[in-house]
Amino acid sequence: MRPGSRKIVVVILVSASLVGACQWWPSSPPAWTEEEIGVLRSLWLVSLPELPPDPSNAVADNPLAAEFGRMLFFDTRLSANGAVSCATCHQPERGFTDGLQKAQAMGTTLRHTPGIAGMAYSPWQFWDGRRDSQWSQALAPLEDANEHGMTGEQVVAVIAENDEYRSRYESLFGALPDLAGANSAALNTAFANVGKSIAAFERTIMPTTTRFDEYVAAVVSGDTERQRQLFTDDEVWGLRLFTGKANCTQCHNGPLLTNFEFHNTGVISFPGDVPDKARATGVVEVLASEFNCRSQYSDDPLHRCAELEFVRTGAGLIGAFKTPSLRNLAAPFMHKGQLATLADVLKHYNDAPDAMIGHNEAKPLGLGSRELRQIEAFLATLSVAGAGPSATITEE
Amino acid sequence: MIVPRIAPRCLFFCFFAAFLPQVADAHGGVVEEDDLCVIKVSYLRAHFKVYQPGVSRHKQYCEDLPAAAESIFVMEYLHDSMSEMLIDFRIIRDVTGKGRFARIEDIDQIPDIDSATVYYQPPVVEPDVYLVNHEFREDGDFIGIVSATHPDTGKFHAAVFPFEVGYTGLGYWPFFLGLLVLIQLQYLLMSGKLKAWFARTPATVGSLMLCLMLYSPASIAENLVISYTTLDGPAQINRMHTWILHIETEAGVGVEGAIVTVGGGMPEHDHGLPTIPRVTEELGGGDYKLDGLRFHMGGYWEIIVTVTTDSGVSTVTIPLQL
Repeated sequence: MRPGSRKIVVVILVSASLVGACQWWPSSPPAWTEEEIGVLRSLWLVSLPELPPDPSNAVADNPLAAEFGRMLFFDTRLSANGAVSCATCHQPERGFTDGLQKAQAMGTTLRHTPGIAGMAYSPWQFWDGRRDSQWSQALAPLEDANEHGMTGEQVVAVIAENDEYRSRYESLFGALPDLAGANSAALNTAFANVGKSIAAFERTIMPTTTRFDEYVAAVVSGDTERQRQLFTDDEVWGLRLFTGKANCTQCHNGPLLTNFEFHNTGVISFPGDVPDKARATGVVEVLASEFNCRSQYSDDPLHRCAELEFVRTGAGLIGAFKTPSLRNLAAPFMHKGQLATLADVLKHYNDAPDAMIGHNEAKPLGLGSRELRQIEAFLATLSVAGAGPSATITEE
Repeated sequence: MIVPRIAPRCLFFCFFAAFLPQVADAHGGVVEEDDLCVIKVSYLRAHFKVYQPGVSRHKQYCEDLPAAAESIFVMEYLHDSMSEMLIDFRIIRDVTGKGRFARIEDIDQIPDIDSATVYYQPPVVEPDVYLVNHEFREDGDFIGIVSATHPDTGKFHAAVFPFEVGYTGLGYWPFFLGLLVLIQLQYLLMSGKLKAWFARTPATVGSLMLCLMLYSPASIAENLVISYTTLDGPAQINRMHTWILHIETEAGVGVEGAIVTVGGGMPEHDHGLPTIPRVTEELGGGDYKLDGLRFHMGGYWEIIVTVTTDSGVSTVTIPLQL
């Protein structure tokens, strides 16, 4: 080798190792551009619009109904074995979920307990959107043999037999039907009113401000010192990946970090179960539900049901689940708690395997292990240790 | 003498006819078509795949399974009519002694099918996709039997597919495929077609692109101009929107009495709109009320408006950056 070419080889080797070191060595993230700040604002809890009204529930924003609903939410008498309340699975101290793969109540349910915070913003309830309001959602577990194991009539009887419940009910909705002689429509109306009270309580459950929200506030006000105090470089890089290369905000967007839509992301089936058809069956169920927006039990005299009217149906929805919020994340993850850790979830999206049924909408991301750890670090800033979502009932 | 010349050819076809179509067509079974594993239940077809998630996660199998483990059989219908049929699914140990060549007739001759059965799912109507989860406890030869019955006509169809559990080898397939590739390659090289193809490629790609450009929706908005106004502020994600579409000719005359349909989606993400929006009212003067429009992510969207009038069909694409 001639001396000249040796020099060239050395220069190339040194440059290559420098480039390699730079990629490996943590570098400070650049400042946010105006456009990026716009994206951050869109994810900020401060940007959450006012809660949309629920015209199908006349007591949705009535504090007395919310208080009544809160009592019902924690009452185990609303179950066949006297041991299950809504809070058995939706535990306030665990972000209104339970830390289990599948919920355990009277029996084992089909899916993982979803959180409740901010779900009043969602047009669809349950993982498969098989109900279209919080009040109709609240009725389904009461009648599910694996959850509360009651009938609608038994639920109404619990209200009728308890003096305080009866009086609270009647001050909100008028006289309870006489159980002995009531027809099914009258019983269903009373049962629906129980759901509407529980929904009035659930509407008050909102996510709390987290370190991420404080960081966005610092970004918006241009306070770089405060930004450095709040976020490590890894968390900032994680946020950049989250809003950029990792495509997370395609579905996890808006201040609640969900678009409330249904997506098949090819999650593996739960041991012992067949793959879940999810929204493909959920949409059929919501359209047929006797308590849906179009039903006689809706309080909206105009029956404005745009979500049902323009809903997408069909085989394209096979295996599609509702995007969950990423605020106050609690393990395990996915619709049956199939993935134990956030690292597992991120690996799943990085690989984007073929779906067992239907088609995985996600594409492989090609992120490195360091990048995955940075996203994980960022996701932790969306939770507050020991301070989950809270219910605030405002007296009028 | 004509007969001797035809005979060998006849023999050749008879040989293939004796093996291939019996399994695939005449009685139904599992076959590979264009990289897809397909189960044929008579003329009814479904995409067929098996998973062993506990052993090999998302890996798909067509028939033979590597391990005695939890196995998920998936049939995604390629015929809509299967969504209305009563379908039952049975797995038996292979007691026919016919192995790969077991047919429905052999199944019919089994004296006590229940004692050979390791799994049975009674007839059920399952829309879109049929699913079975069975945990195999031991390796061995098995036969799957799928039958579909039309609930109204009572017409019955069946498919039989023998398979092996604890299957590790690949058989002769890799050898056979390798041979095919070699033969094809040799043919292409010798015939000079490969060279010719490479020489032709730029022209082919060019003409393909020209076709694409000519047929892109934006370029066939030949004689209509569509504008829209929103009734509820600028377009934003995760809420329902109502738009007023104004459709006019290039001369500025409002188009009335047209049938207006709307589709679209995110071309970069290869998905459609999350809802099915539609025109709910014609307001006159070329104005149409479009309801049920929703966007569930930021990015580039296209709203594709198809306008059908007496004079023909026009398609206009409205680009939208959210």
